[in-house]
Amino acid sequence: MRRIAFLWVGLAAACIALGAAAAFETRATKLQAIKTVGIVSAIGEEMSLTQAGLTAIGNTGQSVSISAWGLDELIVQQATKLLSGRFRVQPVNYRRAAFAAIRDSAVAPVNLLRSDPFKELVRSDVTPQGLDAYIVITRARSKLGNGRNVEGVGLAEYRTLLADYGLIHALYEVRVIDGKTFDVIEKRAAAPLDNTGTVRIAGPSGSIDEPLKGSVSSERLRAAIADLIIRSLPLTLGDMHLIDGP
Amino acid sequence: MVGIGGEYTPDFVGSKSSKFVPIPIFAIRRAGSIDQFRGPRDSASIALLDVGNFHAGPAFKYVSSRKSDKYSELTGLGNVDAAYELGGFVEYYPVDWLRLRSELRQGFGGHTGTVADVSADVIVPLIQRLTISAGPRFTWKSTNATAPYFGVDAAQALASGLPMYDARGGAHSVGFGSQISYRINPQWEVHAYVEYEKLLGDVADSPLVKLRGSSNQTTVGLGASYSFDFRIR
Repeated sequence: MRRIAFLWVGLAAACIALGAAAAFETRATKLQAIKTVGIVSAIGEEMSLTQAGLTAIGNTGQSVSISAWGLDELIVQQATKLLSGRFRVQPVNYRRAAFAAIRDSAVAPVNLLRSDPFKELVRSDVTPQGLDAYIVITRARSKLGNGRNVEGVGLAEYRTLLADYGLIHALYEVRVIDGKTFDVIEKRAAAPLDNTGTVRIAGPSGSIDEPLKGSVSSERLRAAIADLIIRSLPLTLGDMHLIDGP
Repeated sequence: MVGIGGEYTPDFVGSKSSKFVPIPIFAIRRAGSIDQFRGPRDSASIALLDVGNFHAGPAFKYVSSRKSDKYSELTGLGNVDAAYELGGFVEYYPVDWLRLRSELRQGFGGHTGTVADVSADVIVPLIQRLTISAGPRFTWKSTNATAPYFGVDAAQALASGLPMYDARGGAHSVGFGSQISYRINPQWEVHAYVEYEKLLGDVADSPLVKLRGSSNQTTVGLGASYSFDFRIR
């Protein structure tokens, strides 16, 4: 009886290993076949302002428009530069607001079960069609404190009893969407840049000094956010095997 | 995240003596994400619904068996098998520093009753690395969740020398808990906690508690955990 149980466990493990290997193989083969790509970026239209930690009752997050900063243009420019070594990158047109409007469901299983919403948008909204793949860069989400979610580009303040801490974040995820079938070949959220901060969020972030806080429109803030993106993009695309390591 | 902890906790619920129990710590979360507050009495749970300040999902708790031959106070009462409690939790943060949590679980195995836990925690970050929290707790249990541990039937009365007792459900305990955690660096965190429970109603009136145990239940624990990132592929 025990031997049969071991055999079943072994068989299940082998099936899982073979399935995983087949999935990786399929993904690698699909990436190999890509020659032409278009890049879509939709994270830089607005910036969230969040407070966490010891906050006042009724404190809610706010957001401000930063479309004038041209962060999406910067991302497309940087990604084009990085990807050009391997792919022929072609400019594409799309409605940025439509991509930025898509949000994850609050019910986690729904996100696993439903079809990726960006697939349909690439099919219906991006021109020209017919490229081998589309690289779609959109907002990612993380927890900050206990009861706050932060998304995309933002400025956050974590308040404690004895001190306040400021940080900026640029949370984004990258999808590679097949240009023929519109399947998501690969998807990855940008990882934290380093492991030194104690107020940690799940993506590129950095602490900011006191003078930067409160000066939301400042060029220094824009430069700091741009720096997060410029430093993290090669790492993320490298993790996805779209470029040779940074 | 992996770690090890231990707690000095009553031998069994209602006991007046305590023992040290090692506790393994294990959790998986997204790389770089901040630790979410967790109370020592929380069941294992997954937030399938997460709208920022409101979380809900399934919860599970394992209640270890109670062997009568391990403690002299239990002689003659027989064993109670391990119980598995399955249910759900809801958690609400009106502000980032206040957590209200409730769990409702149905038992299988050692008991087949219903258990409800309600707690509130004020969470105060003193500095970035040091957080203290504290708040009240309340537990309600149905008759089927109470009787196997605190009832005494005729055979048990004969074997144990305790008077017969019909333990019914209701308010089980009220208490207070406090926790302190310190993040040494992004990888290492240490924490300590104390949880006090005052047993109530039929549980406190049970001869097992009244004659051989105590209605005051205190647990003290500490632990250390190490967080590390790994990437799949």
